[in-house]
Amino acid sequence: MKPWLGVIFCVSAVVVQACREPQPFPDDQRDQRLSGASNTVFDATAESFGHPFPTLSAHDLAVHELGDKQFEQTFVAAPAPVNSGLGPIYNNVSCSSCHHNDGIGVPTAGDPQSSLLIRISVPGADEHGGPLPVPGYGTQLQDKAVFGTNPEATVVISYIYQTYAFPDGQTYELRAPSYSLVNLYIPQGGMLVSPRLAPPVFGLGLLEAVPEEEILSHAYESDHDQDGISGRPNYVWDPVTQRTELGRFGWKANVASILEQVSIAYNQDIGVTNKYFPNESCAGQVQFDNRKDDPELPDSLLMAAKFYVQSLAAPARRNVNDPTVVQGQNLFSQIGCASCHTPTMTTGVNVAFPSVSNQIIHPYTDLLLHDMGTRLADNRPDFQASGQEWRTAPLWGLGLLAIVNNPPYYLHDGRARTIIEAIMWHGGEAEQSRQKVQQLSTQEREALIQFLNSL
Amino acid sequence: MVIFTTVCCVLGCKRAPTEPAAAQATEQQVLTDFATVVVNPNYQDLQEKSNALYAAVLKLDSVSSDANLATAQTAWREARDPWETAEGYLFGPIEDFNYDPSVDTWPLSKTELDSLLASNNPLTVPDIDALPYSLKGFHALEYVLFTTEDPANLTTREKKYAVSLAESMVNTFTALKDSWEPTMGNFTGQLVHAGTGGDTLRYPRRKDALLAIVGGMSDICSEVADEKMEDPLIHRDSTLSESSVSHNSTRDFRNNITGVSHAYFCHYQSSGHSLSEFVSSKNIALDNKIKSLINSAINSFDNISSDYEQAIFTQQVQIHNTQAAIRSLQDAIDNDLTNFIQANVSD
Repeated sequence: MKPWLGVIFCVSAVVVQACREPQPFPDDQRDQRLSGASNTVFDATAESFGHPFPTLSAHDLAVHELGDKQFEQTFVAAPAPVNSGLGPIYNNVSCSSCHHNDGIGVPTAGDPQSSLLIRISVPGADEHGGPLPVPGYGTQLQDKAVFGTNPEATVVISYIYQTYAFPDGQTYELRAPSYSLVNLYIPQGGMLVSPRLAPPVFGLGLLEAVPEEEILSHAYESDHDQDGISGRPNYVWDPVTQRTELGRFGWKANVASILEQVSIAYNQDIGVTNKYFPNESCAGQVQFDNRKDDPELPDSLLMAAKFYVQSLAAPARRNVNDPTVVQGQNLFSQIGCASCHTPTMTTGVNVAFPSVSNQIIHPYTDLLLHDMGTRLADNRPDFQASGQEWRTAPLWGLGLLAIVNNPPYYLHDGRARTIIEAIMWHGGEAEQSRQKVQQLSTQEREALIQFLNSL
Repeated sequence: MVIFTTVCCVLGCKRAPTEPAAAQATEQQVLTDFATVVVNPNYQDLQEKSNALYAAVLKLDSVSSDANLATAQTAWREARDPWETAEGYLFGPIEDFNYDPSVDTWPLSKTELDSLLASNNPLTVPDIDALPYSLKGFHALEYVLFTTEDPANLTTREKKYAVSLAESMVNTFTALKDSWEPTMGNFTGQLVHAGTGGDTLRYPRRKDALLAIVGGMSDICSEVADEKMEDPLIHRDSTLSESSVSHNSTRDFRNNITGVSHAYFCHYQSSGHSLSEFVSSKNIALDNKIKSLINSAINSFDNISSDYEQAIFTQQVQIHNTQAAIRSLQDAIDNDLTNFIQANVSD
């Protein structure tokens, strides 16, 4: 090598090194539309919750599509050549029957399209600290049954309506639900009852990829900054791993993983036994069919359905630069909403599933439990969640609910029919924020709603 | 030169704000005519055909003759035709109110059906309405009408079940039709007024409404090629075919893709301003491509001459070719047509 060539090489190397010095990417230059980071989809139609991660490999996309089919399969009573294993007692016949368009369901009970299920227990805790099953019923009420078999009960829902007003005179109506169980297949009193509406299923793979340490970094059980907000984690027994794990999913963060969620839903919601839940939901009850066909769901299909949910992308935000939306976003923080509805999380490195690796996402949840006051309380503890605590619901996709699931419903039991109703149901740790919303001007309130509709 | 022309166009537009842009007017007409020329007449036809089916089943119940069974079977196929074309635009009330699963859930829950027919459970229309989806609708009726060769063997309960099933379907299709009727549920208004604000919540922009139409076209292509045709083929199992009892599957599939044609060409009994017309005015090559792919996909079914349940064993090449034609169409819809809408529709 000629000496001067060596000099040029060295200088070039130094320059390249200097140029490649890593610098944090400034947050204000990030595209705010990218709720799911690389796994964001630009679709504002009724199909917006149902897209795969754009980053999937061809192989993973094929598994996703297989899972998509599986998610929609209608199960029928055994024996049957196709999709055998419904019930004998169940809540619905397929995943998509409750998660309509991969979104929410309808807060009714007993109808084919009903998506509200009732968790039940008796006072006390089981050996893992979880809800104590109701003798003869378990921890979930199945209100449907195959022909010739008795469902566990009929759920009757009624509402009391009350009208309230903002200082500007604009009114809103809250409907307070009550639930009663009739036609019990065997007598049973003293049940703790918790209604749960089927939630949207997109973005769960990203939430599962948020490291436990990051979630715990938002937890302040002692309310150290005295803002009245003190999120805390739920730790739950995971039947899949056979360990106590951080709860992330479910309205009370009562489920540790997507695999657990999908497996238990097949078993408890549809009555389909699988590898992790090999016993019928009615085992030991008079409805048990005594068939020796378990597990009814092949493991490959269970895993495909799990992967489908794990790889559903988050929809992009809209109108992020609209001045009113920006004003609403600022109000969202100033009022204190963002203290629990944490806008940003970063997923961990996952070499086994690079799609979810190291993503800066905007789910608007801290995945922690918060006391939401007596009006929303179900008074049914669920592992470490008290009867007044609920997990902060993710808000991404909120503004699309009215398009994906028309009409939309909000909160754990679908009692709220508008976003403003959902806000005004907040209490407990969110009471101060609710009062601040109550005092907003008409224009400010509209800006807040426009921001939420942009999510 | 191109820049100069572009600048002139932009300036020209600014100088004549009162002159409506042709593309904008056509967007509105496309949406309006899609609702009024395609969807409403399709649902009207479906309701009429279901009434004819109900009448035929009543006649079979009255006189269980070979002729009446054949008439009922024909009426079932003819009611199935508009249902399957309507699957080319499966959005709106048909999804919101679960009309689709309530009449077309598959598979049939045969074990429960046997129990139901063997029981004393009443079989009036309200009783049928209370049953799970997998015990009613097209496939439950298909099972009763097509599994017997001798109508004299139909039991009284089977016939009562069939009559109530057919009447329940009429009620469902009437409700579906009414949900789009401008004087009733008026989902038509959601398309007609898309992008104009007001109470139009579903489609804030006309682009969203057009993408919903295009999305429906894509979805049915995927469902036919990758599910309805693929599952029986890949598993070599004719029972996985959706209308295997009546051997109506190929006709179902073709009608599904015909629904795509209806949506694109804005045609059902009569014609209106179409998506094709809108695309053609801006990109004639793309319009020609979509036209050609639709025609190829539909015509390719001509090569599947056997019942689908047999063709999965004897005509696999023809099936693969049809699937390939549908997938090519879907690819063009998902990419070319969707990108065209995104690029050419601004509000």
